[in-house]
Amino acid sequence: MFGWTGTILRVDLTKGTITREATDPKLARDYLGARGLGGHILRSEVDPKTDSLGPDNKLVFAPGPFTGTFAPSAGRFNVVTKGPLNGVLAASNSGGSFGPELKYAGYDALIIEGKAAKPVYLWIKDDQIEIRDAAAIWGHNTLDTTDLVRAETDEDAKVSCIGPAGEHQALLACIMNEMHRAAGRTGVGAVMGSKNLKAIAVSGSGAVKVADPERFKAAVMKARKLIQAHPVGGAGLKAYGTDVLVNILNQVGALPTRNYQDGYFPTADKTGGESLAAKQLVRPKGCFSCIISCGRVTKVDNPAYAGYGEGPEYESAWGFGSDCGIDDLDAITKANFLCNEYGIDTISLGSTIACAMELFERGFITAKDTDGVQLTFGNVAAMVEMTRKAGEGEGFGAKLAQGSYRLAESYGHPEYSMTCKKQEMPAYDPRGVQGIGLNYATGNRGGCHVRGYTIAIEVLQNGAVMDPRITEGKAGLDITFQNLTAALDSAGACLFSTFGIGAPELAEMLSAVTGVEYSVDEFMKIGERIWNQERLWNLTQGYTTADDTLPERLLKDPIKTGPAKGEVNRLGEMLPEYYQLRGWDDKGVPSKAKLKELSLN
Amino acid sequence: MTVRFFATIRTYTGETERRLDDAPATLRELLTALAARYGTLFRRAAFAGADLNPEIIILVNGRNVLYLRGLDTALSQDDEVSIFPMVAGG
Repeated sequence: MFGWTGTILRVDLTKGTITREATDPKLARDYLGARGLGGHILRSEVDPKTDSLGPDNKLVFAPGPFTGTFAPSAGRFNVVTKGPLNGVLAASNSGGSFGPELKYAGYDALIIEGKAAKPVYLWIKDDQIEIRDAAAIWGHNTLDTTDLVRAETDEDAKVSCIGPAGEHQALLACIMNEMHRAAGRTGVGAVMGSKNLKAIAVSGSGAVKVADPERFKAAVMKARKLIQAHPVGGAGLKAYGTDVLVNILNQVGALPTRNYQDGYFPTADKTGGESLAAKQLVRPKGCFSCIISCGRVTKVDNPAYAGYGEGPEYESAWGFGSDCGIDDLDAITKANFLCNEYGIDTISLGSTIACAMELFERGFITAKDTDGVQLTFGNVAAMVEMTRKAGEGEGFGAKLAQGSYRLAESYGHPEYSMTCKKQEMPAYDPRGVQGIGLNYATGNRGGCHVRGYTIAIEVLQNGAVMDPRITEGKAGLDITFQNLTAALDSAGACLFSTFGIGAPELAEMLSAVTGVEYSVDEFMKIGERIWNQERLWNLTQGYTTADDTLPERLLKDPIKTGPAKGEVNRLGEMLPEYYQLRGWDDKGVPSKAKLKELSLN
Repeated sequence: MTVRFFATIRTYTGETERRLDDAPATLRELLTALAARYGTLFRRAAFAGADLNPEIIILVNGRNVLYLRGLDTALSQDDEVSIFPMVAGG
């Protein structure tokens, strides 16, 4: 096989066994890798009714055919599992260099099953695999864990691990790799913690075989030139990072503010990428084979929040910023550092603290509930302290670490949880941008922006434009983005490469690296197959059309101030067309004809 | 009228915003005046020949001028104009 290694590694932590099996060429062709192949493995091997934190759930680390090649930004892999936050077919995507190293060690996927009797870590050095005792490492944060594991294995090993949040099986826990890159969403870190698996270190000495090196080289060079010539992929993200979005979303009136009570934050500029570049940026940083370098190496000198690390991304700056009514960038960056160290999702935790602030201000919780903290919007010290508590699983923080839905529901007011399918929505207010609301509502892992980033067209004028205030055409737009993203995620490409290239360039590179000819239509069809695969799983979890919705606030309460004042999301105008175009019935179930077309059952 | 500048546009203007006592009648007039003030880099960012540069994003009161009347968008004294280069993230 080319592009794929041809081998899947399986580790049973209950039995302590390590086995290898051949990658099925047909499955590889039809599902590519990463999110697609990992999802197929999970759907084939795990009972949908399995307890996500029990030993029968599985955790699949899977790179894609691009991963480890010199395709642009080819450092991606996915962690696939039954997500503990909401039961979905969870795939959490990360960059860094762990994915490429797994390929170099010889594996298209690593399947973790069972549960170790005591804390362990996994050491993969090509075909030598060891399950090692992690007693001395358990309890450490992600930075120290990475250092300790490297000291015991290889100083150049690539390490994925959980922090204390994952150990506590917090439902917002991430898996961190290379210290600062996160498989951040859906609670995958809790699954790793439930298996007593603290870390995975990998070192590979192999290479990725390319079917047609000359064709691949030509396709890659063309793609790289297109990305470098693009104002965003070539220069913008490197200069300002993703946090540059704070100002433009605020200026269109779609920057969620104070737990989505508003869509405009007057002092947002203090938290944007321009301010970050001026005050905290040490240098930009890219993942493996990246020519974009959106990452931020940052340093905070302010003694109250001093630290050194990476981030924040836009989503994190929003979650701990405007969504909490906060414009102190030093405090935001500190909270981001804490999340990386504890291994907890910045989007969901920021939104959950914002939810708690609203519950507090409305009198549904008091200082008795919050360990004496006055948890009001704009309280900077309280926000940072609650982030720490959530990471530690301490006091009220333990409730925060389970996400806003469970928090708000426990106090009788789930309506203040800004979630779709119990996962927190990210940093784009669907009242100001209609199409992203449909994407959140139909998102197959809950509130999520990176699986249907219509913002690129609705706000950012990237390649095409559609008015964010209208609903016409948004169903088709969402489906195109959802299918494209499912395919590129599964190929091992970075979403940000689409700031320069699209399906034609991706299909050409994929054909050259694998030796399997993929037309643009076939590439998009793979994405559609993967999207429907995830939908089928979610239907087994009891999700129905009633769950393809937004928090009532976004459908009924207009934005109060700013440019989008008076707007609500008009989901009802888009959803029926979405089902129709998907080939699903009015209950949101894929038709038999659609399943046959996609070779799904 | 307030004109606000963001990202690389700020490096061309050297300031984050400018208040104008007399609003130009159209966006074209505004950008022409700003290009005269800030120079070549700003002008290249704003215009592609006589047209609006497709790589600039201009909002008038939060609405992209591509959904209004482009360079012919009428302006008034109470307007807030926001000028961005193409930006993205996620």
